[in-house]
Amino acid sequence: MFSYHVTRDLSAYCNGELSAEESRRVAEHLISCAPCRTQYEEVNLGVKLAQSLPVVSAPDELWETVVSQYQTQTAEVASETRKFRLWRPRLVAVAASLVIGVTLVGLWFVRRESRPFWDVVSLGGDLRIGNTTIKGKGQLPLGEWLETDNSSRAKIDVGQIGEVEIDPNTRIRLVETKPTEHRLELAHGKMSARIWAPPRLFFVNTPSGVAADMGCAYTLEVDEQGGGILHVTSGWVALQLKDRESMVPAGAACATRPGIGPGTPYFEDASTTFRNALWKLDFEPGDAGSSLDQVLSESRPRDTLTLWHLLSRVDAAGRVRVYDRLALLAPPPAGVTREGVLQLDEQMLQLWKGQLENNWSDNSMFKKKLIDLWQKGGKGKGLEGKR
Amino acid sequence: MEQRAVMPETTIDERVIEACQEGDREAFRLLFETYKDRVFSIAVYSFDGDQAAASDVSQQIFLKLMTSIQQFRGDSAFTTWLYRMVVNTCIDERRRRKRFLPFGEVTPMLNVADKRPQEQQYARVELAESVRAAITNLRPKLRLPILLKYVQGLSYEEIATVLDCSKGTVASRLNRGHKELARCLGHLRDQVGD
Repeated sequence: MFSYHVTRDLSAYCNGELSAEESRRVAEHLISCAPCRTQYEEVNLGVKLAQSLPVVSAPDELWETVVSQYQTQTAEVASETRKFRLWRPRLVAVAASLVIGVTLVGLWFVRRESRPFWDVVSLGGDLRIGNTTIKGKGQLPLGEWLETDNSSRAKIDVGQIGEVEIDPNTRIRLVETKPTEHRLELAHGKMSARIWAPPRLFFVNTPSGVAADMGCAYTLEVDEQGGGILHVTSGWVALQLKDRESMVPAGAACATRPGIGPGTPYFEDASTTFRNALWKLDFEPGDAGSSLDQVLSESRPRDTLTLWHLLSRVDAAGRVRVYDRLALLAPPPAGVTREGVLQLDEQMLQLWKGQLENNWSDNSMFKKKLIDLWQKGGKGKGLEGKR
Repeated sequence: MEQRAVMPETTIDERVIEACQEGDREAFRLLFETYKDRVFSIAVYSFDGDQAAASDVSQQIFLKLMTSIQQFRGDSAFTTWLYRMVVNTCIDERRRRKRFLPFGEVTPMLNVADKRPQEQQYARVELAESVRAAITNLRPKLRLPILLKYVQGLSYEEIATVLDCSKGTVASRLNRGHKELARCLGHLRDQVGD
């Protein structure tokens, strides 16, 4: 029976791109047509050779390079914007120089206007920036305070690196904004931050500690007495006052008190007894021994976050007990000795922490997604199968 | 059935894309991890195995992705949008380099993502190296459909969208590409089990 040659369809046939009917037609034709069969063998060999083309692994440092370039690019944009803002007032100043008095007034005005600022938008109610009431959009200049009343909320764009939402009854100030540092001061109230900059670029000062972003999302609340509480929902936040630092991962919280600084971080799913005892240990050290007993007896493997921080915060006798409990929950890795830890050998503490972190940050979105994707890949759902 | 020599498919859903558009760095990282090897592979094969050039181009691509993902409106599949960006960047960069510089020295690519025993892996790398060399010698209009098909695992329809041509043109170019590969590497017939 006569049929058209199928040479044009051979790749699609080999790649499974034809319908069942078309595939059947090509197969039947190949049985009876020697020239097309010769062509088929050639194309089929080409297909098999192409299939052996491997995926090449990207270099390990590619991500860091991309992020670094992104930072440079955004910093350059910010710099150009600043240059433009400086250039504009200079023109005004030249024009104003005809009259000295006018020049002075002009310069004063320009200096005030050229201050860096962050964009602010009201999410409800009236905001107060300095002495001005804002109803919709506004700007928070460097050094100025933003206040919300009991019915207003606001959102601040933190340059190009994130955003901060401000709850009612909050007083917050822009302390610094430059490519290498963005800093707010939270006097009282509550804020939620989502930051996508590299670590230690965004800071929030509070009366009892400084929160340094490590690439994360978190809420920070400060009461009228200056005490605070940090809840981390994604990534890590470092809370610091002088040489006392708490590293707080997603799912954990940490309280702060004026004059003391950050307390010991804890996972929010720890038992109430554990959390109450830890609070007393951190901020009411009258009966430290009893509080430590409760913290140790209630601790779970995940609470090694708290125990690791306690190693350097309790006295020598307490440290021995913390070490024993910690070693029971998560034995130290090679290179970490009991003597070294009890003497607070920094290298050993960091080595152990590195191992313990596997228990602390297993709920990040990134890891969850990777696991999810890996599972999908492992089920043998090939690309062709999904189409 | 067709066997593919590429990594298993992973899926980036709308939530991840939306998170990227809102500037979520973890979402970007996820996107990067999902596509980095495939994007890098296209670049390597487009630049005659020059990994330094491929690395530069991959950086450009992911940087563009970070700065322009807000322009993605979901009118087409994300992969189509991404690979169009990949193809265009590779073409532009290749054109630019041709104007100013010779291509870098071709180096064997031993870091292929393969976990087979060593002997098999060497044989496979050798075969892959021959195929790579043959593919880089193809004209771009024959090479790109092959890369999009076998490295990215796209369908003919998706390749047609990325390259802005008809499905029939894709089929025709793949036909010619397959034949040229077979003619160049006919002596490797035994190694691919034909």
